Amino acid sequence: MADLRLVLVTPEKTLFDRPVASIRVPLFDGSAGIYPARAPLVGRLGIGELVLTGTDGVSQSYFVEGGFVQVKGEQVSVLTNGAIPVSEISRAAAAAELEQARAEKATSEEELNSLSRKLERARKLVRMATVD
Amino acid sequence: MANARSLVKRLKSVRNIRKITRTMELIATGRFKKAMDRATEAAAYTRKLSEIVGDLGTADLKFSHPLLEGRPETKKSVLLVLTSNRGLCGGYNGSVLRNTLRHIKQLTEDGIEYTLEVSGKRGVKFLNFQQIDLARTYVNFEDKPTFAEVDELGLRYVADYIAGRIDRLDVSYTRFDSISRQEAVVESILPLSSLAGDSDTQGEGGSVDYEFQPSPQEILEELVPAAFRAKLFKCFLDAAVSEQIARMVAMKGATENADEMAGTLKQQYNRARQASITSELAEIIGGAAALE
Repeated sequence: MADLRLVLVTPEKTLFDRPVASIRVPLFDGSAGIYPARAPLVGRLGIGELVLTGTDGVSQSYFVEGGFVQVKGEQVSVLTNGAIPVSEISRAAAAAELEQARAEKATSEEELNSLSRKLERARKLVRMATVD
Repeated sequence: MANARSLVKRLKSVRNIRKITRTMELIATGRFKKAMDRATEAAAYTRKLSEIVGDLGTADLKFSHPLLEGRPETKKSVLLVLTSNRGLCGGYNGSVLRNTLRHIKQLTEDGIEYTLEVSGKRGVKFLNFQQIDLARTYVNFEDKPTFAEVDELGLRYVADYIAGRIDRLDVSYTRFDSISRQEAVVESILPLSSLAGDSDTQGEGGSVDYEFQPSPQEILEELVPAAFRAKLFKCFLDAAVSEQIARMVAMKGATENADEMAGTLKQQYNRARQASITSELAEIIGGAAALE
């Protein structure tokens, strides 16, 4: 079986660089699964959950905020503005963020765009939060 | 004897100063290593980004994006100045600010309107003293600028540029070339001259036939702002690393000077002490000789 290696980088650092069995990335229009020997791909990411299954069968997930994915041979590179391990998202903090985003009012088109991004991010965070 | 006493006092204070500068040198060294690690890790992102740009190049597509297009006439520009919050780092702030003043003069001569945004207390104080108006000031960037903080600025610049509120963005900062070489420069980062840094690494070993989701054009639309924000972040990281190096070098110099000074003072003190003993002895012997 061919190998698969995931490299997860943010502007600040490389979070993950190890061989994995499979990956699920949040593309801009929905989830996409990547198994070994996938055809080369360059895709835009949305906000959502990145799930990777390690070679030992244990899966791990990250919350990623946009960016790109590049599949080239056995290497999968995920570039994202920010990635948080799901185990570190607290329910309370996520709920507070959603509350704050909801309280904001947008008065121009630009603000509306940024607000809707914030709302989307907060909603996804709330949905994915696991720890109290 | 009074002379010797005052020498002892000076010697003590010089030694105390040496302790402080030595400690500051060590702290700066530690911070420099951390900042350097961050900068190296951040480089991975830029490298990947330029790789994807190279991949996009294989798809037939024109690289056109508002951020890449220069304006025929530059009317309004923003000058972002990156200085440190703290002093005692040799010529670090001085050279950045000198460059900044020169650039401001140039802008005024060319009749370009400018707004100044300054990060770092040192720069803010200096430019206030020069009675130059500052549009925005930031003091939250310490030696560890986070991407989220820098991104706030980045997003604003992107929006302003696309909306045509600014025609150019210049950053005055200290570029990090190597550990022994940093240079204060003024760089124009908007419009973007090249995508994702200057090291355009084209995919090695022939082209790969990529599947693009959605289209290459749409990916490019996302990629260009990302490249710009990474570039801006790199400016901040470079400035942070350079600041620590400058402080390290300055404090090393100060420690060496203190060492040298302590040596001279010690020698002077020994001489003064010896002279006073000799004169005392001479007095005693002289007195004894007079009694005989």
